[in-house]
Amino acid sequence: MYGVFSGPVGGFAPREHLCVGCLRCTTQYPEFVRILPNPARSSLGDSYFTPDRVDTVCYEARSGKVPVKGAGYRGPFGGSGWDGLWTDMSEIVRPTRDGIHGREFISTVIDIGAKPWRVTIADEQPSRRPPQLLSIPIPVLFDAPPAALLTDTVVRTLATAAEATETLVVLPVESLGKSAPRGRHIVPLITGAHLAALQQLGFEPAMLELAGWDQQLFAQVQAQFPRSIVCLRMDLPSTDALLRAWASGVRVFHLLANYHGRGSDGRFAIDLFREAHKALVAERCRDEGTILGGGGIIAAEHVPKAIICGCDGVSLDTPLLVALQAQFAGEAVRRETSSFKLPSRFTVDWGVMRITNLMASWRDQLLEVMGAMGLREVRRMRGEMGRAMFQTDLEREAFSEIAGYVS
Amino acid sequence: MSAKPESIEQIIAQKHIECLHRGFHVWPALEYGKPPAMGDSRWTADLILSTWMQAETGQPPSNGLEYRTGQSGGGFDVLHLKFLPPEHWLADDAAIDLSIPLNRRDYDRQIRIPVPFYGAGMSYGSISENVMLARAMAARKWDTFTCTGEGGYPESLVSYKDHVITQIATGMFGVREETIQCAPIIEFKYAQGAKPGLGGHLLGDKATTTVAQMRESVPWVSLFSPFPFHSVYSVEDHKKHIDWVKTINPAALVSVKVSTPTDIDMVTVGSYYAGAHIVQIDGSYGGTGAAPEIAKKNIAMPTELAIPRVHRYLVAEGIRDELVVMASGGLRTAHDIAKVIALGADGAILGTAELVALGCTRCSNCERGRGCPFGLTTTDPELQRLVEPEWGAARLSNLYQSFQSELRTILRQLGLQNIRDLRGRKDLLLYRGDVKAS
Repeated sequence: MYGVFSGPVGGFAPREHLCVGCLRCTTQYPEFVRILPNPARSSLGDSYFTPDRVDTVCYEARSGKVPVKGAGYRGPFGGSGWDGLWTDMSEIVRPTRDGIHGREFISTVIDIGAKPWRVTIADEQPSRRPPQLLSIPIPVLFDAPPAALLTDTVVRTLATAAEATETLVVLPVESLGKSAPRGRHIVPLITGAHLAALQQLGFEPAMLELAGWDQQLFAQVQAQFPRSIVCLRMDLPSTDALLRAWASGVRVFHLLANYHGRGSDGRFAIDLFREAHKALVAERCRDEGTILGGGGIIAAEHVPKAIICGCDGVSLDTPLLVALQAQFAGEAVRRETSSFKLPSRFTVDWGVMRITNLMASWRDQLLEVMGAMGLREVRRMRGEMGRAMFQTDLEREAFSEIAGYVS
Repeated sequence: MSAKPESIEQIIAQKHIECLHRGFHVWPALEYGKPPAMGDSRWTADLILSTWMQAETGQPPSNGLEYRTGQSGGGFDVLHLKFLPPEHWLADDAAIDLSIPLNRRDYDRQIRIPVPFYGAGMSYGSISENVMLARAMAARKWDTFTCTGEGGYPESLVSYKDHVITQIATGMFGVREETIQCAPIIEFKYAQGAKPGLGGHLLGDKATTTVAQMRESVPWVSLFSPFPFHSVYSVEDHKKHIDWVKTINPAALVSVKVSTPTDIDMVTVGSYYAGAHIVQIDGSYGGTGAAPEIAKKNIAMPTELAIPRVHRYLVAEGIRDELVVMASGGLRTAHDIAKVIALGADGAILGTAELVALGCTRCSNCERGRGCPFGLTTTDPELQRLVEPEWGAARLSNLYQSFQSELRTILRQLGLQNIRDLRGRKDLLLYRGDVKAS
């Protein structure tokens, strides 16, 4: 019924691309038809970015739609990492009563920057300058791809897509040459070694990102771009370093796990994001700064989960490459060592369309999750761990009286 | 006088039906091995094929197919039943009672079903009328129930009304006074496990003119039920709903279908105090005709984790014996039913298992275009012909018989004479994360 056997010679030359895997043909004619899993598909991605995930991102990038399918869930029971966390829902609470597919408004805007707890007045003047804040309409920004992929086309694609979706893209400052795109949506990634490139930037970005902590560089960048937000990029786990940087005046942090969502100590991002968030909560300063989380966020559901675990927003890495139909060359674990093969030729317009579609799909899926939770703005989801259900906790509660259960 | 020649369409349909039925027979016999592309970790090829076999023979398979559990790596698939040593088993001819009451209060109508399960809500539109009829026929034969889902009440079901639960869901599709008046049980669907916090989805291709007429909507336009009930903001509003249907049909029992949020215990208690007789806990791994993939996997908890919480809370409140708790959402086998009862449910509600018995391969194409290529989750007139109601009813009846037989065997090997005595008996379960469950 899907036209697989509707070619001029029917089953002798099936149109395989039309197959939807329903198995009706093999059910009816077991002696003639055998449907096999496609070996090419099983080689997509890597051990973390599985073929199913690649498929999903490609569908989202192609269509811009929320994947909707019949039948129930087909995967394993819970799992490790993000899969071990379920989000809450409410039987009777909705952000509004107008329906998610109608007029219901759910805000996905987040603020990035320093948010002083209060304005103090001294000598009839505010003692501090106004908060340096920028807002982006989706809680997602784009992270820099591996250096080998920083071609002119890729840089332009990411920059244009970020501009189109009104978000930010982190790009190494050395990749922002004279012919590179300009604009406030571009976040130059800076090391001390590239100060000269920074001097020749030629535009005032909304945010700059330090590749690592350097007190002198921090002061220098603040002085050169007084109206820009300065963000600190840190590898996870980072609690102690984060608190030290906070004490030195940093208010925006970009905390990164590796591409598989693991910190340098092997723990998963869920625990590491929560740890960083709780550290600032314990210091009673969480609401005054911003945590952006990255690494291992490869599916739409990972965005709300990361936010529930304490991030204000997230950055994407490998999903952007998969949206551009990049193929993995082996395991992609760290940005510095991962290798991908992008299509030999693609246009910026095509790439921008794919990434824009991906963002549209992920935003709509974020709305589904928030709508189910009864939340009307994503800022209120941050750190709402009481609205998350952790598999380990639930299993302990449900099964601890059962013989053989070990937490 | 010779019979009127069949139309070419009928001949073609008959040919396909014969071939399909042959396939449902030969594949479980493993004449051609197992279909390499069939199954997933929840519904393995073994589970699908063994369900086909049970639907044909009324007995569990004896050819090595694993018919008890899947390979999801958690939940039911890592829970074992702790059987007694054979010398302590009850005799083969021991009377085993599988019946459960659907009203545990000492007022209102008393209904008892002879097996601890009934059919889940599946709407007209999400499945074909023939499949609805097959389910109703099987429900009548087994003196249990099936449920309309939220798509209305086809006229052909009226003669089975004593075994049909009328569902009232947020879209109120097809809800009419007369269908409420004729129903022995009214089910309020607050949420569905496969898409918790989201309304029903019927995509435009399946909203045919007849479906739209039943739902009083516009043909070929996607129908997204609102969420939640626009008239319910609290337990008190929920009680108002129950009062409303009790006014229309005072004799009806009231069931409340909810999903599994963190406060599922409170939701259940609230439903009890509002006057519900049955609470259906629909876990997140349940079936659907169409749902966002993100919802199926990530929103709300699986039923295995929700039922113990609900049971414990109701016990603590002292109301456990006044409320019937039915579990649904990913129950595939008789062993799953026994396990969920041991975790604290009174009984189970089956949906996907019934569709698999009718030939579903779990291909997940229910939502698209003409719908199911096996004629199950479709509104296409041609495809519907693939499931004749009588044939379907016989398959479902055989599945029920196999489940009944298995449940009796399980109880006998646990030393229990009564399924009601299994409720909440976690001590009869064994957790083995490292060993495939049995």
